[in-house]
Amino acid sequence: MKPRDIELLSAYLDGQLSSSDSARLESRLKTEPELVSVMDDLRTARGYLRQLPKRRAPRNFTLTRKMVGQNPPLPRTYPVFRFTTAIATLLFFLTYGLNVLAPRFASQPVYGMGGGGGGDVELYSAEAPAMAEPAATEAPAEAPSVEMVPAPTMQAESTPAADTTREMETPVAKEGAEEAAGSALTQDQPQALPEPQPIPPLVPVLWQYILLGVAFLGAVLMAVMRRASARRWK
Amino acid sequence: MNEQALIQDAQSGNLDAFNTLVLHYQDSVFNTALRILGDDDLAADATQEAFISAFKSIASYRGGSFKAWLMRTVTNACYDELRRQKRRPTTPLEPDTDDGEEMDSPRWLADPNMTPDQQAEADELEHAIQHCLDNLPLEFKTVVVMADIQGMDYTEVASSIRVPLGTIKSRLARARLRLRECLAGFEELLPSSFRLEVEGRAQ
Repeated sequence: MKPRDIELLSAYLDGQLSSSDSARLESRLKTEPELVSVMDDLRTARGYLRQLPKRRAPRNFTLTRKMVGQNPPLPRTYPVFRFTTAIATLLFFLTYGLNVLAPRFASQPVYGMGGGGGGDVELYSAEAPAMAEPAATEAPAEAPSVEMVPAPTMQAESTPAADTTREMETPVAKEGAEEAAGSALTQDQPQALPEPQPIPPLVPVLWQYILLGVAFLGAVLMAVMRRASARRWK
Repeated sequence: MNEQALIQDAQSGNLDAFNTLVLHYQDSVFNTALRILGDDDLAADATQEAFISAFKSIASYRGGSFKAWLMRTVTNACYDELRRQKRRPTTPLEPDTDDGEEMDSPRWLADPNMTPDQQAEADELEHAIQHCLDNLPLEFKTVVVMADIQGMDYTEVASSIRVPLGTIKSRLARARLRLRECLAGFEELLPSSFRLEVEGRAQ
């Protein structure tokens, strides 16, 4: 039996042959018992398959929105809130990072040409003792000037009251001079260095609070929107 | 049921419309998967996967027989399942009898309208046919399931599995012949009408 004949017989059983092919095959079936036998086999096999019980689906296969990854439709303003919240959060962390990191960079010593902007602050703070030092050294120089003021000569002919006044002023001036001299002596000791000025935050803290507030508020509003949409959807 | 309207609604994302189609076709899809895979649980999984996949890709449906389009989806899901089985073969857990032997025909699958003898015969016949189907090459089995079990015409089968019409005719003829040879070993299980037919031809 040729495979082509089997195909013809199978198609003939299903009524899939053209009328001319059917007529030709029918005439052959009358004369070729082998063809009839094969056709019976094919018909029997087809009958078995058609006899198979049709099973009912064991359950419903309807889909849920979760199965297909559908989300409830959100309000049109939702993307605006999402964008605002994202930007506010980003800016908050950026400003926070700037304010935390800037003083650390500022305290780094300057190395070579690539010291960066932080070195300026170091230079500035390094200048502070240098500026304080002359002030301390000037004090003794000025202190005697208080004693050398021409006041005594001018007040030489003055009343005793004026003398007492001068005597009262002079010890004070002397004490000031001694203190200034003492402080000048202790300038070389490191514990006497003046405290460096705290560096103010690059971004005002108030801005950070505002950004944090916007981010928090946006997140809360988005959560409320999502929940309301899901409730409406159900 | 206005199928075209439901399909259009489903294409615009209407899940309820798609679920109406699911309810209409789920028995056909499940039976196809069952006959290709030969296992209820695997068939149920493949059916669910097929419907999920169908919903996600329903935009690609461009008319024609929706049933054929669905059958292509379930066939693909079955092929995926068979590939998975090949990678990780498993041993099915058949329920045990009181003697501790595996039970081929679980009680919960029994039809309450049949007598125990009829039920046993029907189960055995179904098992015999399924056994012969399982012995067919996959491409033959798919064609024979669609054409002879689902009653689809050649054009629908061809569009479902995307092969030429001539190939469908050839595969179907060869599959039927192989099935007939296989089922010859189960003559005692065949319904009386078929037995008479066979005996009549033998005389």
